[in-house]
Amino acid sequence: MGEQLAGPVRQRHSTTEIRVAPGDVAAVMRTLHDDPALRFRLLADLCGVDTGTVMQVVYHLWSEITPDWLRVIADGLDRDNPRASSVTFLWKGAEWAEREAYDMFGIIFEGNRDLRRIYMPPDYKSFPLRKDFLLPDDASRSPGLGVRHMEQAAAPAAAAAAPRRARAG
Amino acid sequence: MTADPRTRVRSLDDPQLFVETPATIYDAVPPYPPSTEREAEFYTLRDGEMLINLGPQHPSTHGVLRVVLKIDGERVVDLDPVLGYLHRGVEKICENSDWHMVVSHCDPLEYIAAMFSELVPVMAAEQLLDVTVPRRAEYIRVLACELNRIASHALFIGWLALDLGGLTPILYGFIERDEIVEMLAALTGQRLLFNYMRIGGVNGDLNHEFMSRLGDWMGHAARHVNDSQTLINENEIFVKRTRGLGRIDRETALRMCLTGPPLRATGVPYDVRRAHPYGVYPELEFEIPVREEGDSYARYMLHLDEIRQSIHIIDQVLHQMPDGPVTAKLPRLLRPRPGRAFAAIESPRGQYAVYAMSDGSDQPFRLRIHDPSYFNLQSVGLLTPGHLIADTMAIMASLDPIMGGVDK
Amino acid sequence: MLTRSWSRLTLAGKVVLPLVAVLGGLTALLMLGVVLGIVQPITAFLVETLSLNGGLVRFVVAALAVLLFAIPTAFIIGFLELKVIAFMNLRLGPNRVGPWGALSAAFHGFKILAKEDFTPTGADVPVFTLAPVIVFLAPVLGFLVLPFAPGLFGQDMNLAVLYFFAMSGLGVVGLIMAGWSSFNKYSLLGALRAAAQIISYEIPLTLSVVGVIMLAGTLSLNGIVLQQAGSFLDWFAFRQPLGFVIFFIAATAEGNRTPFDLSEADSEIVAGYATEYSGMRFGFFYFAEYVNVFLLSALTVVLFLGGWLAPFDLGGVLHQIGVAFDPRLDPGSLGIGLLIGLLVVPLLIIIGLAVPFWLAKPGLAFWKALIIGFLLFNVLAAGAVLLWAVASFEVVQGLLWFMAKTYAFVVILVWMRATLPRVRIDQLMGFAWKWLIPAALLNLFVTALAVVVVDAVTR
Repeated sequence: MGEQLAGPVRQRHSTTEIRVAPGDVAAVMRTLHDDPALRFRLLADLCGVDTGTVMQVVYHLWSEITPDWLRVIADGLDRDNPRASSVTFLWKGAEWAEREAYDMFGIIFEGNRDLRRIYMPPDYKSFPLRKDFLLPDDASRSPGLGVRHMEQAAAPAAAAAAPRRARAG
Repeated sequence: MTADPRTRVRSLDDPQLFVETPATIYDAVPPYPPSTEREAEFYTLRDGEMLINLGPQHPSTHGVLRVVLKIDGERVVDLDPVLGYLHRGVEKICENSDWHMVVSHCDPLEYIAAMFSELVPVMAAEQLLDVTVPRRAEYIRVLACELNRIASHALFIGWLALDLGGLTPILYGFIERDEIVEMLAALTGQRLLFNYMRIGGVNGDLNHEFMSRLGDWMGHAARHVNDSQTLINENEIFVKRTRGLGRIDRETALRMCLTGPPLRATGVPYDVRRAHPYGVYPELEFEIPVREEGDSYARYMLHLDEIRQSIHIIDQVLHQMPDGPVTAKLPRLLRPRPGRAFAAIESPRGQYAVYAMSDGSDQPFRLRIHDPSYFNLQSVGLLTPGHLIADTMAIMASLDPIMGGVDK
Repeated sequence: MLTRSWSRLTLAGKVVLPLVAVLGGLTALLMLGVVLGIVQPITAFLVETLSLNGGLVRFVVAALAVLLFAIPTAFIIGFLELKVIAFMNLRLGPNRVGPWGALSAAFHGFKILAKEDFTPTGADVPVFTLAPVIVFLAPVLGFLVLPFAPGLFGQDMNLAVLYFFAMSGLGVVGLIMAGWSSFNKYSLLGALRAAAQIISYEIPLTLSVVGVIMLAGTLSLNGIVLQQAGSFLDWFAFRQPLGFVIFFIAATAEGNRTPFDLSEADSEIVAGYATEYSGMRFGFFYFAEYVNVFLLSALTVVLFLGGWLAPFDLGGVLHQIGVAFDPRLDPGSLGIGLLIGLLVVPLLIIIGLAVPFWLAKPGLAFWKALIIGFLLFNVLAAGAVLLWAVASFEVVQGLLWFMAKTYAFVVILVWMRATLPRVRIDQLMGFAWKWLIPAALLNLFVTALAVVVVDAVTR
């Protein structure tokens, strides 16, 4: 499995972190789940992250062998067309977590039978937790921009005003 | 797309949209074509099936949850929960707020057990800041959390009985909860959303009123459990309604990412306090109650067992409480190191976790909240088909969802 | 100026003033008529007509009385439900509206009158409107044959029991009409559940009564009560214990009471068949349920517990103790003593009752103690009058026993509502068909066998 790891294995504060490419996610998860030496049978969390440059899908797993959490970051998803493979074949309970990641970020999970919006109304146009989603009251930071309808992406002129493009680790 | 309101996109959920035929306004079928496989499968009705809406306003959907039931007479064939009625965008709000403010944004998530939902982001922040929390603060945290756990379980018992039709147990549960909540109000100043946890400790030491109320309460702490024992446990009707209902086995429970009492009722002894210990739990002696059957009755009995264990924990904490400060000294403006942290605790509903990412600034870069009710509620779709409509309530109530957490 | 004073009246004033005016006018008219000699022949004619059609008159009076009795009964039972359930829940219940909150159920009724009465879109309007009427009429009509006291009943039909069960069937029709015409899936579910439940439980209900009928030899309720005369142990509850239990359970199910109230389970299908109703139409359902509770308890009491029969002879017991109570008062024999008695005795009693309160509580003003004394005197006087009435009129005694027993069962039904959770529909139907009907049939066979055997032996 080592060859699928994209970056170093990091460890801090009782969490071990590994990074994989988005295409390898299914295979890595299957190995982690089925391998008798690893037995990561519990999916603790599944979430999407928008770092401003790329998108990531972050999984946290637990095995009865070690008390540490294992964080698997599927890094490098394209921000304009984020696709990842679904882990619902291993954990049916990840279905709603993937729906939430889709709803909030637009990440499309291939293999999820029910990828529709879960929090927002079904015909909502944009993805709220993305870094380029600005709330209407962001206009108050720059009144000259006026009030923007929530379902519209930021106009390029506004990009200079407020959004953070911070880099995270 | 312009900002011109005349050309505004009209959502189909827009209440100003007038629907022509009266028959369609009562239909649970959405007016747009199905977009996924599962949606298509759900919304095609066979002969004799009917879609009925257990609407967001309903006396027993634990908050604003809408469940579309596909029923064949009285039998539920399929079930589709529709969430989002209480979605407040907490994660986004936290991204725009300070690290300290996260506590008050997060505590209405699991509003019944607010101590837990406040504790987790605080723990994540402490990991990012590499702060050591003083021992006394850790003990107080455990004390407050266990008290809140008992209060939450007392309410669970009441709700389960209320959804099955018994009017009395919920009032007994509220008596018990009221005592605990008054105690916590003496400690924190609030009855429901405590705003008590702080990064690096807690907000204020134990005071005399809290200790005296706690002492009084400990004198008859287990009485409520015994009361429920006599009123509900052996009640024929209650047992017949819950035993064998919503049975899950170990494999399915792990696959459905269940945590907390629903998982432990199936026989998996997974409790975050023992699996990945935090705080002072390694020093406390308690057992993890586990049951084998996996049905609603087992989940109910497990909650009673947990109340007893919590009382035992509180007892030990009171004996072992050290002296010292209750907060670590931290600056007002917190700038944690860039990095990621994952903190998980055992809340009354299961594993409550936060994945926090920091980019070195004073605002969280990403605060992902993993609420146990969200994952536990998925099992409703798995467990209910085949049972009657009345059982939907029993199963949902036994999984103990809190819509604040489910909808974030 | 008149309109200004009119608009300054409160709502109550606006009701009372025209009422008083109209009544005053009518009285004046009547007195004028008496003086002028017009009224005499009219009254004579009326009396003659009424006495010629005695049966019809009796029926009309009985129907009116039943209707007028049903509504306060519903209020009282509603109040009992609120208070008893509250006490069982370790809380107080309504305690602001009247003394101990007694008027709260009545005010619930008036509030329901004031609510908006709408018909949902798509509802079948004539059926929707008629349904509450039928649901309300079913138990009220059942009151007509109930013997409240010796001689105090609406009609002494010799098919009274059959009439009763026919009336409960009428209730089912009303429920289905309500559920169907509401154009709402919840209502439909509730109505069908209710229909299935009531129809299933009609059978054990009727079967358990057949045993009683066999022992009593008559279908008339009055007759059944009379057959239980004698001693306390002659009541059918002791002669037909299984029938009694089955009847009570089936009656609880008939009345849609917990644990069988799933047709109006408000944690599952909101209000079942009554979901789309509001205002007075909902009030009808609400009242019908409480009237039905009273009716079912009354029926249990009449069929199995001796109706208006006293379990023990109060006069006899008192005689044993040595209290001789001669109810035949003759006020005329007292002479001047009457005047003194009427003026002085109450005063003495009031002062006598006030003084202990005045002495015991230091801060109490004497006039307040007098008021307490006056109230207590009223209570004692009412009690004395009641005792006299009970002792001298058999009807009053019978009525009191009937009411006491019926309300005991009403409280038992309310108690069950407070404590028991709900049964599921399939468990309910299973219980009726697999347990109650065989038990009722068993009861029937054993009773029939016993009757035949005893007959053969004693002949």
